[in-house]
Amino acid sequence: MIFDELMQIRAKALEQLEKAASSDELSELNTSVLGRGGMLTAILRTMGKLSAEERAELGKRANAVKQELVERFEARRAMLAEEAERKKIEREAIDVTLPGKRIAAGTGALNPLTLVYREIRDALIGLGFTTFEGPEVEYDEYNFTLLNLPPNHPARDMQDTFYVNDRVLLRTHTSPCEARALKTLDLPVRLVIPGRVFRVDEPDASHSPVFMQMEGLVVDRNVSLADLKGTIDSFVKAVFGENVESRLRPSYFPFTEPSAEVDISCSICGGKGCSSCKGTGWMEIMGCGITNPHEIENCGKDPDEWRAFAWGVGVDRVACLKYGISDIRLIYEGDGRFLSQFK
Amino acid sequence: MKLPLKWLKEYVEFNVTPKEFAERMLLRGFEVAEIIPEMDGIDGVYVCRIMSIEPHPNADKLRVCTVDVGRDEPLQIVTNATNVKEGDLVPVALDNATLTGGLVIHPTKMRGVASAGMFCGNEELGITDVEYPGCENGGVMVFFEEHPAGQRIQEALDLDDCIFDIELTPNRPDCQSIIGICREAAAALGQRFNEPEIRHIEGYGDCSDIARVTIENPYLCPRYTARVVTDLKIEPSPLWMQRKLKAVGLRPINNIVDITNLVLVEYGHPMHAFDLACVADNHIVVRNAKENEIVYTLDGKERVMSEDMLLIADPTKGVGVAGVMGGLNSEITDATEATLFESAVFRPENIRSTARKLHHVTDSAARFIKGVEPVNAEKALLRAIELVDELHAGRVMGGMIDVCSADLSEKQVAASVSHVNEILDTDLSADKMVELLGSINIPAEAVGDTLRIRVPHFRTDIEDGIETDWDIAEEIGRLYGYTNIAPTLMRGDTFRGYLSASVKDEDMIKDTMAALGCLELYNYNFISPKELADLCFDEGDERLNAVRLLNPFGEDQSLMRTELAGGLLRAACLNLNRKTGYGRFFEVGNVHFDDPELPVERKLLGVIHTGANEDFFTLKGTLEALFEKLGVERVRFEKGGSNYLHPTQKAIMTVDGDKLGEIGTVHPKVQRAFELSAPAYIAELDFEALRRHITRVRKYKPLPKHPAVQRDLALIVDEDMEAQQVIDVIEAAKARVLIENVRVFDVYRPKLPGDKGIPAGKKSMAFTFQLRADDHTLTDEEIGQAVNAILKSLKFRLGAELRA
Repeated sequence: MIFDELMQIRAKALEQLEKAASSDELSELNTSVLGRGGMLTAILRTMGKLSAEERAELGKRANAVKQELVERFEARRAMLAEEAERKKIEREAIDVTLPGKRIAAGTGALNPLTLVYREIRDALIGLGFTTFEGPEVEYDEYNFTLLNLPPNHPARDMQDTFYVNDRVLLRTHTSPCEARALKTLDLPVRLVIPGRVFRVDEPDASHSPVFMQMEGLVVDRNVSLADLKGTIDSFVKAVFGENVESRLRPSYFPFTEPSAEVDISCSICGGKGCSSCKGTGWMEIMGCGITNPHEIENCGKDPDEWRAFAWGVGVDRVACLKYGISDIRLIYEGDGRFLSQFK
Repeated sequence: MKLPLKWLKEYVEFNVTPKEFAERMLLRGFEVAEIIPEMDGIDGVYVCRIMSIEPHPNADKLRVCTVDVGRDEPLQIVTNATNVKEGDLVPVALDNATLTGGLVIHPTKMRGVASAGMFCGNEELGITDVEYPGCENGGVMVFFEEHPAGQRIQEALDLDDCIFDIELTPNRPDCQSIIGICREAAAALGQRFNEPEIRHIEGYGDCSDIARVTIENPYLCPRYTARVVTDLKIEPSPLWMQRKLKAVGLRPINNIVDITNLVLVEYGHPMHAFDLACVADNHIVVRNAKENEIVYTLDGKERVMSEDMLLIADPTKGVGVAGVMGGLNSEITDATEATLFESAVFRPENIRSTARKLHHVTDSAARFIKGVEPVNAEKALLRAIELVDELHAGRVMGGMIDVCSADLSEKQVAASVSHVNEILDTDLSADKMVELLGSINIPAEAVGDTLRIRVPHFRTDIEDGIETDWDIAEEIGRLYGYTNIAPTLMRGDTFRGYLSASVKDEDMIKDTMAALGCLELYNYNFISPKELADLCFDEGDERLNAVRLLNPFGEDQSLMRTELAGGLLRAACLNLNRKTGYGRFFEVGNVHFDDPELPVERKLLGVIHTGANEDFFTLKGTLEALFEKLGVERVRFEKGGSNYLHPTQKAIMTVDGDKLGEIGTVHPKVQRAFELSAPAYIAELDFEALRRHITRVRKYKPLPKHPAVQRDLALIVDEDMEAQQVIDVIEAAKARVLIENVRVFDVYRPKLPGDKGIPAGKKSMAFTFQLRADDHTLTDEEIGQAVNAILKSLKFRLGAELRA
């Protein structure tokens, strides 16, 4: 009977399937059962002799068997492959205590962010600054509230924020470290604070949701806007060269008052005006200002005794300007042909 | 904020170039983002007089005109226009002229006849009957009055000014108005700004007799002023008003709506006009909405309100969403007979939350969010009434409804002249400061070292409190000019500048990695849940405890990374795919683990090698070189490590039991998951663990006085014996001499059992070491005894035999 024959083919195939010890054997078996000249096809060829009902029934059953076998072949194939890989892995065992090999691998390179960060930092060390760091995932309180940005402050909209929960966020700037420093350190201080910051900005040529900022914070009894100007000018010259000028112009940040944007004379045209500086001869590089007395008070220090100034410079932006990098995404992409240019 | 130069000229004499003006504004804190010509995008269009019109030799529908454009020779223009005749003055686009939509006109031939340009219609020039009545004639625009041939179209139409697009900082909401920004602009031009006086319109009767306003939530609505106009005549507003609105990008609608819009632009205060007939009992109720209360707004949309939203209602229904948009049911229509003008103050944070929840930040809402103030609310209302009167748009009723809980009194603050000078490091006299403040209409007087300042109502940013001196320093600084303050460096105590130990170590680690041929990566901190799954961490592994963002870009960037491996693999993959030829990378970066409080942050050093010459041992070589440079000694490599590494090619690195990290070949499965076309080798080290074992000061070790001898041993050991086991035994052997620099230098596994005399299950390993004594040269006997002791120990502890 043709139905018994079908079941025999199935049983035999399943039996052989389990015995197949390699994927080659399995493929052979697969062809002999399911292939064009295979047993299953052969049985279907005999259908012509059957009645219409029998034909339909056979078609149904043969399909079920076929589907079952395809699945079983696949399962067996995966098992054999895994088995083969396991054996290969065993064969590949090495003695991890053997000494390493030193091969000539060419000259590596630091990322342009590291290079620019060090240039700024080192210029400031010469002015008596020390380094300070804080966490990348931060309390809302430190990132905003202590810095004179209470909940619902409209200026919170200036910085689109990644939140972890209603109290914790990815810091949008390195400024929360100011609050940490003011709260924990003995004054006076001169700090340079590098770190990654995060903003909800879709990446494009000039935006990255992750970027690097460097905060500067000076707290002392008698610092002034003129000192801020001088300090910023000194590291601008260290990074861009002695003939680059910087200027401050009025702006607004909730954590500083007076606040200013810092422009540098265009490094491309030297200040004459070109397309990079939109013809103005100046390029904006960062914000700064005299620390808002509320921030000092919020952090438990007396604003009548201590005056402070601060800035936050985007290291990425400076790197792009300095090296003429046209697309900030290159910094984070990891293409060796880009990274190897900064030896 | 758009400031049309024409509008500015109504208040001041504009005596500089637009560019110079922009520069002056910039240095006062107002950045002009763009200077837009009034006829934006139109260039190369001139007035011409049509001297003659001839038929086109080859086309019925075209005509050939000779025109005078004020040049030495007349020009020939081919046109299909039918509405022009000889003697007409029309605009013509010549010589690469640009028209609306970026259309560029070149001299061309039309059906074999040269044409130097094209006559223009109003659409090509981007104008309508508002700018030049009668220009919308369906054909070429024709001037009705005389103009010299060759005059630029901008001059002919008096559209030759520009519009300044000015960026405002959030502390100056007062400058979101023509009045406010002109006050600053006048000072920038060295002139005094005289705020226009609003003519008081007496009106008839008293609107309080017919209309009422009740505020149920005075916190959210500190002031609501209203006046009523009856016998309205709704019609288009006059051209001068339509032009002003169009200049700032607003669409003229009708006289009443245009009045509220013009006042919004002039005074920065949003207003609304209700059809009074649609307000039940003529009674406005300002109250919180009921949950799910429905209001249909002017744009025809259904707005589902919630209890925290403020509603403008009458006793029966809502007639508007406070501060966001008016209701459709009380809209001004051609049939409106009486209107109630609303000019109110709403709490910014409430409007912000309402507008966000309704996903609709209107112009009005934007202004309320930035902040409006109650004195200006009344001014805006009175200005609107003045305009109603001026336009004869209706009969103004007398009186004013004013429900007010806001403090309208003038704020007075005191600032210290010397303190302001200290903050800025300036030496300005009190009188000079009074003069500077006066230039932007802030009245002040000097009493000794104190400035007594009467803060105008519009300067909500100047506060009475600890920050007053800073507020005033900000004003004085920007008015005096930051560029006039000479830069200095901090005076007083000197500071010891230094790098923290951690920063120094990071520098050294990065420099060393670069010297070893690695390129430095900065990978993003965001990873996908799939990445963690692909790396096959065991259930309970801390690296599965990632911090999840509430508002990620997408699921594939929803977690903060807990490992550097994924980023290293992606970078390796990119370089393999692009065939860059670079295969050595490293990153020093933080990973985060979730915690009920602040996530735990840990810094890692990750290194990856991939490429033809790389294997487990080249990566190990890189790390050994790093350890050597850092003086990290006694690092042991023991089998083991994470699941993403190859099970028989991975090791945990420790120093005295302190785990530094892991190294290994990437598991073939993981290699496939990351679609890497070649094997890769990864190490991840804990930055702080590494730092703990750095040798900070290397103490001098005296040079040996007596020579050492070198001995090699070839051993037969068990197949799975590790070199380290043998080294440990050799070093620990009781040989009575110093055993130094023990190294393995050869490993031989027989191809077939018994090959080269090595039995099945065994292999050969060759070691070299030095023997030495501090105080004498070793004798042959001592050396022999030492080697025997070593061999004995090897045999006893490891079953190792000397290879024959």
